[in-house]
Amino acid sequence: MDFMRRSLLGQLARLSAGAALVPLSSIAVAGINAQPVRREGDPTKRYGMLIDLRQCIGCQACTVSCHIENDAPLGKFRTTVSQYEVEDQATGGLATFMLPRLCNHCENPPCVPVCPVEATFQRQDGIVVVDSDRCVGCAYCVNACPYDARFINDKTQTADKCTFCAHRLEAGLLPACVESCVGGARIIGDQLDPNSQISQMIAEYGDQLMVLQPEKNTVPQVFYLGMDDRFVTRPVAEAALLEVLDDQGKEMGYEFRGH
Amino acid sequence: MNSVAIELLAPRYPIAWYPWAVQYFFLIALSYATLWLAAPALIFGKKDWLPTARLALLACLSATLVAPVALLADLHQPLRFWHFYAYANTHSWMSVGSVILPLYLFSVMGLAWMAWRPALQANREAPGFLGFVSRWISLGTSPTPKPLMVVTGLVALLFSTGIMLYTGAEVAIVKARPLWNTYWLPPMFVATGFITATGLMLLLNRVTGMKNQPVNSQMLKIMLVATLAAAAIAAAWVLGGINDPQGSVAAAIESIRYSDSWRATAIWGSITAVILFVGTLYLLVSKAKRPALHSWVWLLGLVAIHLGWMFRWVVLMDVQHVARNSAGFHHYGIPAGSSGLLGIVGTFGLWMAVMLLIDLFVPWREARQGGVATDVSPVIDADTVDTETRAKQDTNAAEGAPSHG
Repeated sequence: MDFMRRSLLGQLARLSAGAALVPLSSIAVAGINAQPVRREGDPTKRYGMLIDLRQCIGCQACTVSCHIENDAPLGKFRTTVSQYEVEDQATGGLATFMLPRLCNHCENPPCVPVCPVEATFQRQDGIVVVDSDRCVGCAYCVNACPYDARFINDKTQTADKCTFCAHRLEAGLLPACVESCVGGARIIGDQLDPNSQISQMIAEYGDQLMVLQPEKNTVPQVFYLGMDDRFVTRPVAEAALLEVLDDQGKEMGYEFRGH
Repeated sequence: MNSVAIELLAPRYPIAWYPWAVQYFFLIALSYATLWLAAPALIFGKKDWLPTARLALLACLSATLVAPVALLADLHQPLRFWHFYAYANTHSWMSVGSVILPLYLFSVMGLAWMAWRPALQANREAPGFLGFVSRWISLGTSPTPKPLMVVTGLVALLFSTGIMLYTGAEVAIVKARPLWNTYWLPPMFVATGFITATGLMLLLNRVTGMKNQPVNSQMLKIMLVATLAAAAIAAAWVLGGINDPQGSVAAAIESIRYSDSWRATAIWGSITAVILFVGTLYLLVSKAKRPALHSWVWLLGLVAIHLGWMFRWVVLMDVQHVARNSAGFHHYGIPAGSSGLLGIVGTFGLWMAVMLLIDLFVPWREARQGGVATDVSPVIDADTVDTETRAKQDTNAAEGAPSHG
């Protein structure tokens, strides 16, 4: 697209009528799409997670334990580990890259202000939760999350997402994914406590830490150590093969198709 | 270091908004656009526009009644709709919309009731069920004051701008879907809404047997303006975004470049738009030379309806298929059940049923800007009127317009 970027059309763009509408729209968006006041939770804490990718072996123990702990429907995940095969074109060398994904419990969560009934909200400790008794299942938040961290739970017909296992944290336990991680790659903690492991690691690794899609201005609170910046945004990769067909052209090994 | 990557493992992310959303956006756009087409005669008293207004009001009320049903069906918990009002807030466009929508609905119902009331009153003495319904709906024999209708109409127009704004903004603010996140989406919804509405009017003018020539030429003019507006919006969108490597234009170019189905959609959409524009322009300039052609103008109406519906399908459904967190595109078939085909067909069926019920019980062809029953000839005499009208139409047909359908 370089030729187009340099083109006269591109220069004309700066003068296009759109520019005139921008300030007006910004006001409307700022007024209507602003973050509501946080409620519930401990205001003295700010939970966050640090994922040390150097320790992740892609075993999916977190995926499975989360699924069992939170009773998610088949085919939908509060957390999962994306796996990529990366080939160096110069040497032909292969490497596998693991990327655990979950809700980023953003400082500026785009899923929260869109909720028409304030069923999804951010607690004062930073955890973004859904009140499933109030949720109308409009799925606006599912579309508003750039990380695909939300889904409609087929059992409850309401929005569902990672809660950092808030119910376990309150009982003094670690989230299921953290508890089950064989490599100890997932570290959860209170960022307001300077002595917590997460605070110390953030202080130690600082610039080396990355977050997903920082350009969306969501300010994620899940930090990745040992991250490859090619995977920070939507990966440029050949897509996963989701359908494996048998001789008759029928899908194999995906019993819960349609969910 | 150059590298290529293959995504080995990623979940299947399903769509969150179902085709019900397309139906809602389609019907609500028809609703507000036809309201504006009914406005010149029914609100501002322009007599030349009365036949257009009568057709437009039929389309407007039926679409306004059915649209919220589709919207409700898209909720996974439709019985919790009252939560919208129990927990209303000002930070969500959807919440703002949930307040505007019923206000708009009631103002349109009020306007339609007043426009049809004199004719309903004229039918009070009609025999059987028709008379019963007319007596019941018309609520007494008092005259319908014109100023009240004007005020109700202006209120409805005001709320309709609210609907235009909220339906557009609701989608356009979603940064997580770069293809939606553009200021040009809301005006494009409105422009294509008017294209669709004028197309529907051309079709209704034919299928209701009104076959009113001024309606066709008024609609063709508005369709031309709406098509030009849509083209200008599309051009502004491309020009405004071509420099931005992250924006919605970049996302669109990427989709077209890497997906066969997106490329096919883009080509199909462009061809349809060109056919519509050229067809409208040709019919307008050849008006005197080729009168026979004008009896086929409803075909152009179908093209316009197709364009408006397809635009909403692409924006609301296809965009949800663009993966944002994983590689590539998700491919989904349309399921047969209520979250797919049944929902689409069911909404259209309900819409048609509502139109037929109105046609059965309401003398919508006699809609006027208020007044009293004596302004209208009652339905008992309708047979003679109908015969006269038919005779006139037959004469018109004999002049060259082929009779079909």
